[in-house]
Amino acid sequence: MTAITIEGVVRSFGVLRAVDDVSIAIRDKEFFTLLGPSGCGKTTLLRMVAGFCELDRGRILFDGERIDTLPPHGRNTGMVFQSYAVFPHLTVADNVAYGLRARRIAAVEVDRRIDHALKLVQLENFRPRWPHQLSGGQLQRVAIARAIVIEPRVLLLDEPLSNLDAKLRVEMRTEIRRLQKTLGITVIYVTHDQEEALAISDRIAVMRSGRIEQVAEPRAIYEQPATAFVAEFVGTSNLLRGTIQQRDGEMVDIMVAGVSVRTRAAAGLVGDRVVVSLRPEALSLLAPGEVLRAGWARIVGLLSEVEYLGPVTRFTVQLADGSPLRLMALAPPATAGEVIVAFDPGRAIVLEGSA
Amino acid sequence: MRSGLGRHAFPLGVVAIAVAFLGLFFLYPLLKVFGASLLDAQGTTLTFANYLSVLSNRFFLQGLTNSLTIAAAAAAFAILIGVPFAFVLARLPVGGKPALLALAALPLVLPSFVGAYALVLLFGRAGIVTGMLQSLGIPFESIYGAKGIVLVYAFTLYPYVVLPTVAAFKSVDVSVEEAAQNLGASPGRMLRTVTLPLVLPSILAGGLLVFIEALENFGVPFVLAEDKPILAVEAYKLFVGETASNPASAGVLGMLLIACTVAALLIQRGILARRHFATRARGATPLLAVSPPMRRLGAVYCWTVIVAALVPFATVVVVSLLEFRGPVLQYGLSLDNFAQLFQRSYRPLTNTVLLATLAAAGAAIIGVPVAYVVVRHRSRLSALLDVVATSPFAVAGTVLGIGLVLAYSSGFLILTGTWLIMVLAYIVRKLPFSVRSASAILHQIDPSLEEASVNLGVAPLATFLRITVPLMLGGIVGGLVLTFVTVASELSSTVVLYSGPWTTMTVAMFQALEGTSPGVASAAATVLIVFTVLPVALVYRLLRRHELSML
Repeated sequence: MTAITIEGVVRSFGVLRAVDDVSIAIRDKEFFTLLGPSGCGKTTLLRMVAGFCELDRGRILFDGERIDTLPPHGRNTGMVFQSYAVFPHLTVADNVAYGLRARRIAAVEVDRRIDHALKLVQLENFRPRWPHQLSGGQLQRVAIARAIVIEPRVLLLDEPLSNLDAKLRVEMRTEIRRLQKTLGITVIYVTHDQEEALAISDRIAVMRSGRIEQVAEPRAIYEQPATAFVAEFVGTSNLLRGTIQQRDGEMVDIMVAGVSVRTRAAAGLVGDRVVVSLRPEALSLLAPGEVLRAGWARIVGLLSEVEYLGPVTRFTVQLADGSPLRLMALAPPATAGEVIVAFDPGRAIVLEGSA
Repeated sequence: MRSGLGRHAFPLGVVAIAVAFLGLFFLYPLLKVFGASLLDAQGTTLTFANYLSVLSNRFFLQGLTNSLTIAAAAAAFAILIGVPFAFVLARLPVGGKPALLALAALPLVLPSFVGAYALVLLFGRAGIVTGMLQSLGIPFESIYGAKGIVLVYAFTLYPYVVLPTVAAFKSVDVSVEEAAQNLGASPGRMLRTVTLPLVLPSILAGGLLVFIEALENFGVPFVLAEDKPILAVEAYKLFVGETASNPASAGVLGMLLIACTVAALLIQRGILARRHFATRARGATPLLAVSPPMRRLGAVYCWTVIVAALVPFATVVVVSLLEFRGPVLQYGLSLDNFAQLFQRSYRPLTNTVLLATLAAAGAAIIGVPVAYVVVRHRSRLSALLDVVATSPFAVAGTVLGIGLVLAYSSGFLILTGTWLIMVLAYIVRKLPFSVRSASAILHQIDPSLEEASVNLGVAPLATFLRITVPLMLGGIVGGLVLTFVTVASELSSTVVLYSGPWTTMTVAMFQALEGTSPGVASAAATVLIVFTVLPVALVYRLLRRHELSML
């Protein structure tokens, strides 16, 4: 039960600013994910919370009490490492007991808590096993049991699923989420996998070059990306340049790809150049003879590529200015050659700055 | 905000201790040697006269040429023997590979001058084989001189080529070989144009080790060179001096030896700088499918090399068990030679065990923390530490010995004649090995294991003891034993530094060589063989089991 406050945290390695003035407030019992490409500073930030990376500036607090001055072994955080870091010279039970013994907890209690933790990760019968006898998924469970058994103030997970195969990854992430809810623990989770982040998080911070691009709930991250980077990194997006032509309260008319699109935009003045994000699944092809829905916008283009992916089909339409528009539909397109792309202008997201 | 000095106290402390130790017992003595080479006979004025006189002396110039050609030839022959051996071990389906590898590595722990002595026993002027050949009327020119020395080096030092080359052959990414074949290269062409160039850096690294070892070796030329001048031996003779010590000329020869080693290192670096391959096999490199005759040929080749390398040592053991009357062999079994060897005292043996144990412990106590700092606390300082701690490797034992005597026979610290000066020399000489073997193990240990322990609430020092040390233990024990045995068979600095009561087994053998009876010398050699092979055999099995349990 811990709220985490990260305030103006900075860390440089030589000229590289790995973490560049980051401030985040993580709520108690929240599943908070740091998402971003490799080298964006997410792991560095996590290691700062754990104490393995010094802060050049800023501070970190648990429940209002400063912890960044504590040594890493005095912070009571449970960390699950990307490589699992299960001690190869200790049995499963001794691995799980390691942190408890460091806390000088009575043997009977240690025993009880090992059982409980192993039950939580479904490894009840693995107590006497050696790490080299376990599969990747089982090692992962040992690492998690070892981290939660000490009842840490926060659980830190550093890309814990990246070494597992795709199917196990989906299984384990559900399990981690279930465990977090059962234990009611605050989690910071680091990943570069946007689907994983969307699936398990209460909130996500998208990071880029040591800075936070956006902090929001998964739906808001996907549906209302704050920046072009977020729109492109989380899911795929068509980023088109446009100009604000008219403002009417919250609503603006934007000229984009030769058509005028009316949508919501909080900021931006008439004449401003903006970037408009259109998700592939927000676009559809108008079948021959089909009537455009009232209020929808249409763009004409040339169908150039079709990729059949099983459940969905992805295709690309070449616009008049040569730029590609990616679409996603449940069924393959019925037409070829010149096509009409239709969309609800309300789903066009206006981003500032250039793409 | 930063935890300040506390966090850096450990690496800084290690750096300070290591630098102080090496400064006192490595750099300062070398400086003394350098100083001696630049001082006139009175030791008062700086002069280049010593260099001029040595370099204009035909005898010493011949020594320089001899040393360099012999070392280069030794490296070339070791590569010729070692590369095919490594290839068979790494890539051909021959049986008994663990045994082959163990036996191939064995000469590394055996004292090479014992091998030289065995050659004398077999092919020397009064050698067993020489005698047999002569009695059959076959003329046989004895083995002394460059050819004998190169032969001994090639067969005792070839493991330096085999070990890295086996690893390199095994780590060649099989898909680049497949690509070569797919593009139309025959297996022979593929080996020549793809595989060999990829393993070349390892071959050169091994060859360089042979070159440096051959250059600094004292015992082998002492036994076999006769009147041929060799730098390492001449430096010793000049320094110890039958009539008067000549530290100036000895210093010049020492500096020449160091210059040769440094030049070789730089040349190797220059060659490798233009060839940096980061190949990494994705899986195990598969064995080549070859015809049964090829396979048998490979096996026969390997066993021939091993037998050729080990037979001399076996001969010495056998000879030590035979009866001698004076210098005359009687062909009856007896332990007289050993009785005679230990007649006066067991001290050489106890000295060897004691000094080697102290040196092994000392090298580990300094080397393991140094390796830890070098591997785990990457900084410019730790990189420098790495260079300084591994540089004793490039300095001949004789030269270090001379330096230590020059530095500590008078002044603020007098050590000459003590056991301590010998142990210090051994620690300095074995430190590179200790650091390298410990850092090799550390590289195998995922740093997040240590972080996991700290994260679970165990302070760094306790983590080092509970996680790092147990995980390193197998390697540390292995390193200790290897240091022990290589110190036990060390001669080049011992011969300069020992004093009467601190005679070692190597010195006892060295002295017995000058005696008449080969019996005592071979008994001393046998004791040395036992005391080097036995500990290694013991831990080798231990290490194997340890490795197997880690699989």
